[in-house]
Amino acid sequence: MLAQTSTGLTQAQSAPQVLVKPKHDQGDVGTVQASQSVVTKAPNQSIREISHISEKPKVSAISARRNTSRRKGTAFPALERRNWLIHMHYVRKDYARCRDLIEEQIKETKNRCEYALYVKAMILRVDGDIQQSLKLFQRCHQINQSNPENLKQIGKNLILLGRHKSAIECYKTAIDLGGKDWQICQSLGICAQFLKDYKQAEAHLSEALTLSRHVITYQLLSNLHLDHGEVASAKHVLEKGIHHYGENVELLTSLGVLYLQAGDFHRAFELLGKSLTYDPENYKAILAAGSLMQQHGDFDVALSKYRAAAQSCPESSSLWNNIAMCFFGKKKLVAAISCLKRAHYLSPFDWRILYNLSLLHLTMQQFASSFQFASSALTLKREHGGLYMLLAISLAYLGQQNNANQAFQQALTLSGDDPHVLVNFASFLHHTLADSQQASQILSRFKKIKKDSPNFDKEVLDASKKLMVALNIADDAELGKKSSETTTDKKKKRKEKRDSTTRKSESKSEERNLPGGKEEENAEEKRD
Amino acid sequence: MERSIKGAGEDTKKDSNWINAHLNPIAGLYAFSSGIALVDLNGQGSSNLVVADLGTGLKDMKLKVLKDSSVVQEHSIIDVPTGIVSVYMDLNEPRIPSLVVGSGSSLYVYKNLRPFYKYNLPQLEVNAEEAKLWHQAAEQEIAVDTLQAGLEALNKEGKVLTVQSLDYLEQQDDKSCTQFLNDYGSMSLKRETVVTCLSTLKKSMSEADAISCAVVGTENKEILVVDSEAFTLLKTFSLPSVPCFMSVTGLYDVTFVVYAACRNGRVYLCKKDSAEAKVCFEVSSQIVGFERIHKQVIVAMMNQTLACFSAKGKCLWNVDLPGSVVCTTLMDHKAKGFKAVMVGLDTSKVLVYHNNNIVDTIELQGVPQALCFGKYGVENTSLIAILTTGAIEVLVLKRTVEYADKGINQGPPASQRIKLEIPKKSQLYVDQTVRERNHYRDMFQNFQYDLRQIRLTAAKSYYKSLNLKVTPLSDDPAMPLSLTASIFGIGPRFKMLLNLVNTAAATSVDPKLACRLKLVFRYAESIYDITPRILNLPALVPEQTYNFSVCIDCLEKENPIQDDVTAFVCKAGRSKPVVTAIISMPVAGGNVFA
Repeated sequence: MLAQTSTGLTQAQSAPQVLVKPKHDQGDVGTVQASQSVVTKAPNQSIREISHISEKPKVSAISARRNTSRRKGTAFPALERRNWLIHMHYVRKDYARCRDLIEEQIKETKNRCEYALYVKAMILRVDGDIQQSLKLFQRCHQINQSNPENLKQIGKNLILLGRHKSAIECYKTAIDLGGKDWQICQSLGICAQFLKDYKQAEAHLSEALTLSRHVITYQLLSNLHLDHGEVASAKHVLEKGIHHYGENVELLTSLGVLYLQAGDFHRAFELLGKSLTYDPENYKAILAAGSLMQQHGDFDVALSKYRAAAQSCPESSSLWNNIAMCFFGKKKLVAAISCLKRAHYLSPFDWRILYNLSLLHLTMQQFASSFQFASSALTLKREHGGLYMLLAISLAYLGQQNNANQAFQQALTLSGDDPHVLVNFASFLHHTLADSQQASQILSRFKKIKKDSPNFDKEVLDASKKLMVALNIADDAELGKKSSETTTDKKKKRKEKRDSTTRKSESKSEERNLPGGKEEENAEEKRD
Repeated sequence: MERSIKGAGEDTKKDSNWINAHLNPIAGLYAFSSGIALVDLNGQGSSNLVVADLGTGLKDMKLKVLKDSSVVQEHSIIDVPTGIVSVYMDLNEPRIPSLVVGSGSSLYVYKNLRPFYKYNLPQLEVNAEEAKLWHQAAEQEIAVDTLQAGLEALNKEGKVLTVQSLDYLEQQDDKSCTQFLNDYGSMSLKRETVVTCLSTLKKSMSEADAISCAVVGTENKEILVVDSEAFTLLKTFSLPSVPCFMSVTGLYDVTFVVYAACRNGRVYLCKKDSAEAKVCFEVSSQIVGFERIHKQVIVAMMNQTLACFSAKGKCLWNVDLPGSVVCTTLMDHKAKGFKAVMVGLDTSKVLVYHNNNIVDTIELQGVPQALCFGKYGVENTSLIAILTTGAIEVLVLKRTVEYADKGINQGPPASQRIKLEIPKKSQLYVDQTVRERNHYRDMFQNFQYDLRQIRLTAAKSYYKSLNLKVTPLSDDPAMPLSLTASIFGIGPRFKMLLNLVNTAAATSVDPKLACRLKLVFRYAESIYDITPRILNLPALVPEQTYNFSVCIDCLEKENPIQDDVTAFVCKAGRSKPVVTAIISMPVAGGNVFA
């Protein structure tokens, strides 16, 4: 059979039909049969070569036998003979060529080649034709009912079609055939998740993890926990995942964000930094790490990170919002407003962006615009003290004392522990309404809060001190603190105090800027 | 962290580490990495490239020998060649290796580029009952339909039948069955398997030119070790899935390990002393490339990742690739003792990974289909790439090149240096801002005033329309009616023709009749008189036009006068009319001729 020269083969191909059975009309069989006839008719040089090495008895036996049974072996080529070729094309994602091969193979085997149909169905699924793909997988299952792989793929298609209950049935049959594996367990978990059976989903996914540890399962399980508010379990799952896949960016980022939300900034920064080392263009990690940097006033670094994200996700409103707040931190107000306007354009119903817009316009002393943005934010988000505070401040500037007072009251009821609300309200009461009594009442509330958590912004503290001086209230917390502070700090503070008294009206609006920006970033993370 | 990123330096475009040696864009080659090999065919220290060319994938399969970039010799191959390996089969001098081509269910051995031997893989067991049926049929003990029924039953039971039986089951009528039986009935039944991958294993010595065995992966989920001297089957391993890539290490006579990557996404370990395969690790995507460096297995996967596992199955590292993997090869720079994995991507690039670091990037002329690194001609460090277009490209590594791990900190990504696009603000914006700063109170008040005005206007119009009860078209989706009216005559007596249509679309279930309706009029009683004042409407069939007429008398005798008449269609039990039409009456009354 080996013994053809190239001339022998060309002859054979020119008349492939000679000895071919009508149903095996593909070229290979014809070639073989015809060329064998060439061999027998005209033994050429190569044949002689074989006879030379006749010390191997088997070889001559083969050549002898060949004449007697020439159809054998090639009359019925194995159905699987091109499976490997189809597989190679499939894994290389060379779908066009793969499809041609499959069609040829299906034609040749009369729709009986299980693997060709299987790969065809896989490609159809990639193309999005789930229904057709499902049909083909079912045909595969019909051909070979003992292969759990076909059932698994049927189940996957059923999930994609949203038929989760049928998918579960299908997977159960697959388990009966070939036992459990991580794919089945994970898919069962996904089904249970869609069917809102949290306990079952968790059990299946955990089982999948015991069978084989895959990143995707860790992600699914942690998301499942998060959806049900079990942050601790989600963290636990992600920690375990990172233990096994220490370099997985997705897992690192997800855990980092969780820590960020929990307020463990140190650990969050460590994790996010790690994920950014492995993938410096990961959008989620950039946004989270950037907001952390912003929180610590590291605006330039945050901006440089955002620049990378802006290339990959130029249409993210959160990103533009954070960029804007970076510019705001750098006192580039016009650029900040530009970016915020873009963010607002990208997602017009995001109250956080409106909040920031209101804040910025307040800083720009565009009180009418500030009022507009605050009020539209309020229609989207009713129960937010900070928004009422912004509204109240702009109303105060717009000469609407009564309305401002009402808005402040509302802010106070909604978030009475917010130091910004308290200080601003007190300042409003003192300066605009000249109601010193109530102002000192509010300030005493502020003092109480300050005692509990001393880490306030300097601007807030300065403003409160100023007010206390004006209202003649002794700042007992300050007295206690003095001993711990260095003298230079004290001097600086006093100087600032003096400076700021001269530009009272300005500082009043500015003192809420930073906290506003920060709040925004936190909120951003929660949303992600 | 920031410092380390900044410190990694600039990523300047530097010259390639590779020399473009040959390029033949019309070589017309079609082979995968498994189908090409660099072999010293003459035993003179100069290697040729041997390609088991797949032809068109269906025919024209050839064994091609290339020198430089052109084919110097070619032989036909009968079936699609799966892989090609070179093995030393004897101890003869000069040391010239033979070629083993895996194809279909056989191994074809070429010695001195001449066909030498064909080794058929062991055939699979044929179902005893099936064989018995065929035997009986051939001896004409059973009829054609009995054979058919028997085979059908076996097939239903889930028994694996031979292709011959399956083909027989496809026969439609008795005539073709008989024909089939006559043609093939006497043939012995066969079940063949197919070679899926091919590798070699040194037999008892580890020298480069020591005698080797062929290791064959088959479609029957087995791995066979075949002796190349006597062509006997030495060992069989069975796997739970079909192997698609293999890597073998060790010596057959001492101990050896076969790493087999299978189609179910798992990699199995087969050791000499056990026939069973052990799962080494499992990946979540199909494996595209499979290489081994010492005891580490590196797999490139369909999900654009490259991962490295230890022999114990622990994931050592995992990197994301910037494109889809199309092929891989091992770069074994023996002179420098440097081993790396080359990953060909669909972006026409080849990345060289040493551990998880990219140490080099090679740009090819097209998407590679097969890669091979080794000695080509006399160059020890050649990279041969066969592209999907059929072209062959040969690159040679410069001798001065030193690869060093750059570390994972590759500096900030290029995108970080691109400036942000912040929309510029116009002068108009600045002017507006200044204006607002100066007049914010006025603006606010004006705006609030205007807003109130608008609200007032809106409320007024709403109130008005509520009062008028104007509904020219029915606003009740259950009863869509349209009403038109026309006036005839010059007065003082007019005739009003009312035109009423039920515009609902009737269905076979619900005829959508509009029942219990009344037509009433509103007018100034001092001016007009209408008879009849109330019309009882019949049930309105959809899409039928109903005409009604009423008489209107103008009562005013002194002065010409004109007023509106409103017609309502009302439904019993509803305060709001279904449809309203306001009709402006023509001027009438008084002495027209005065």
